Amino acid sequence: MEVLNHLLLGLSVALTPINLAYLFAGVMIGMIVGIIPGFGPAAGIAILLPITFGMDPTGAVIMLAAIYYGSMYGGTITSILLNTPGESSTVASTFDGYPLAQQGRAGPALVMQAVASFVGGTIGVILITVLAPLFAQVTRSFGPPEFFLLVMMGLATLIVMVGGNWRYGLISALIGFALGTVGVDLETGQTRFTFKSAEMIGGIDFIPIAIGIFGLGELYYALYMGLHLKGSGGIVRYDKEPRFWPTARDYVETKFSLVRGSLLGFVIGVIPGAGATVASLMAYSLEKSASPTPEKFGKGAMAGLVGPEAANNAASAGAMVPLLTLGIPGSASTAVLLAAFILWGLTPGPLLMAQKPEFAWGLIASMYLGNVALLALNIFAIPLFVLMVKLPYRILAPAVILVCTIGTYSVNGSIIETWLMFAAGLVGFFMRLYGFSPAALVLALVLGPLAEQSLRQTLTISGGTFGIFLDRPMSLWILAVTAVVLVAGILMRRRRLRR
Amino acid sequence: MGGRVLRAGFLLALLFGAGWYTWTAFTELSYLSSAGRLGPGFFPRIIGASLVLFLAYSVFADLRRASPESAISPYWRTAAVLAILCAVFVGLLDLIGGLLAMVAFMAGSLWFLNRGRTLHNALVAILLPLTIYLVFSVWLKATLPRGLIPLPF
Repeated sequence: MEVLNHLLLGLSVALTPINLAYLFAGVMIGMIVGIIPGFGPAAGIAILLPITFGMDPTGAVIMLAAIYYGSMYGGTITSILLNTPGESSTVASTFDGYPLAQQGRAGPALVMQAVASFVGGTIGVILITVLAPLFAQVTRSFGPPEFFLLVMMGLATLIVMVGGNWRYGLISALIGFALGTVGVDLETGQTRFTFKSAEMIGGIDFIPIAIGIFGLGELYYALYMGLHLKGSGGIVRYDKEPRFWPTARDYVETKFSLVRGSLLGFVIGVIPGAGATVASLMAYSLEKSASPTPEKFGKGAMAGLVGPEAANNAASAGAMVPLLTLGIPGSASTAVLLAAFILWGLTPGPLLMAQKPEFAWGLIASMYLGNVALLALNIFAIPLFVLMVKLPYRILAPAVILVCTIGTYSVNGSIIETWLMFAAGLVGFFMRLYGFSPAALVLALVLGPLAEQSLRQTLTISGGTFGIFLDRPMSLWILAVTAVVLVAGILMRRRRLRR
Repeated sequence: MGGRVLRAGFLLALLFGAGWYTWTAFTELSYLSSAGRLGPGFFPRIIGASLVLFLAYSVFADLRRASPESAISPYWRTAAVLAILCAVFVGLLDLIGGLLAMVAFMAGSLWFLNRGRTLHNALVAILLPLTIYLVFSVWLKATLPRGLIPLPF
């Protein structure tokens, strides 16, 4: 009953005309961000952060969150029509989405992905509504040891589950931690690695780094791979097909895939570090193993599209749970959202839902509405987004650089930060090229100060012994979950390598 | 071969940076604070030493074997030119102001990437920066660089 009251409060916030306008703008931008290859939600949110400076905090975060989950929908359109995933989380959608389109079933594939995304997103938000308050209650007992372990768990999961070389993933995270130590040490007031520059005393700002690495770095990589020479010639003409809507059989055959994908995606999303990409790939494997006709997978099986789509959207909802209740982002995109929260003076954590209910519940309620808007957009505005897909990359690329640069400058009006973004872009390019993990770097940069502070506090409490991590029941639980996730990640990696 | 050199250069640059970071952490930052607690050098020393260790191992291990991705993409020039144009763009911001720098960057980039469509490129190079200028500067009142000689509007 209490949850229902909170949800009604949230709806009263989200349903104001101005917040609805922000929500709609957010889902539209999210769709576009999702469609552009090599331009992810992390860069999209970071670039648009300055635009929200004149807004009310709740409206701003509603818009930025809508960009995040909207991009999950948008990325699939290019996966189905062009065999090019707009987002890493929609890679699994190319496996059966594109073969379906080649068989003259692009229309049904587009509609079914929209339905699956809607169901996954909505089940995810329902689970947030029910579980987030419980989660917040449990996490109120968390102390420095638990927070330190959670940060480590998120990074370890990200390194093991995503990307290729785990050693490079670890190096990326260590670089992020190192960058996070620049500035004043909060406990002693001593400056560290500042080159005696006044601009560095406050530390390295996260926004230019995120925009550089995810915006410019990815873009240089796309150009390096020759994406600017690819036209939209290979795009499947869904409008020439005799049938746009799915058949009743499509719905009947995939009803369990929807539920399986949604539940799996949410659970994976809640685990810091795992994220939507892992969720969609795991959902694909699950669907294939659960199917009576696994040989059809990769050749146009609707369940192979629906399961991963439900999973990546549910995961994006699930990732909001640790963000809202612990203040710990599980991915690069939610790390940018955390930065936005902090910019707005909001401190995500166990007390957020109790102290700022109109904000937390306004955001959750807006996600229900956002998913409805995205379902409608994904079915009825497909021609508009296909036009976006047809925009040549050789024109898009300079436009993206323009927005990245001006977006960075406008945050603080600082040319030094703009140069920092440029340098981060170059580093991001080489990281992408050689298989490092840009997401681990950015996540570690954001979480570094929390990790350092909580480790120092933990060792002060324990008198310098690490045994404290085994003495506290909650720490032990986190260690156990981390162990399970890491073993699962290592097994997944081995399976991938064997293939 | 060129790819291996580039990769080695990147890894060595990281190793050099990590070496400097670790050196500073050990020589300039104390392990314990004056109050006897863990000091500002505690965490950086762990991070720096680990970084140096893993990077040194990577330089040694990865450069010994030639991987198939060692070859440089034929499109490297495109990425490099765009990066240089971006650097020029950032350099121009404080000199000629946001709007003119945007127009110059778009014109240069489109001339390079989208050759042979002069009118089309000219329109995009003027209209897109103008739109961004109006959105950021006029509508959102965000800070944009004005340049040494500010525009009259």
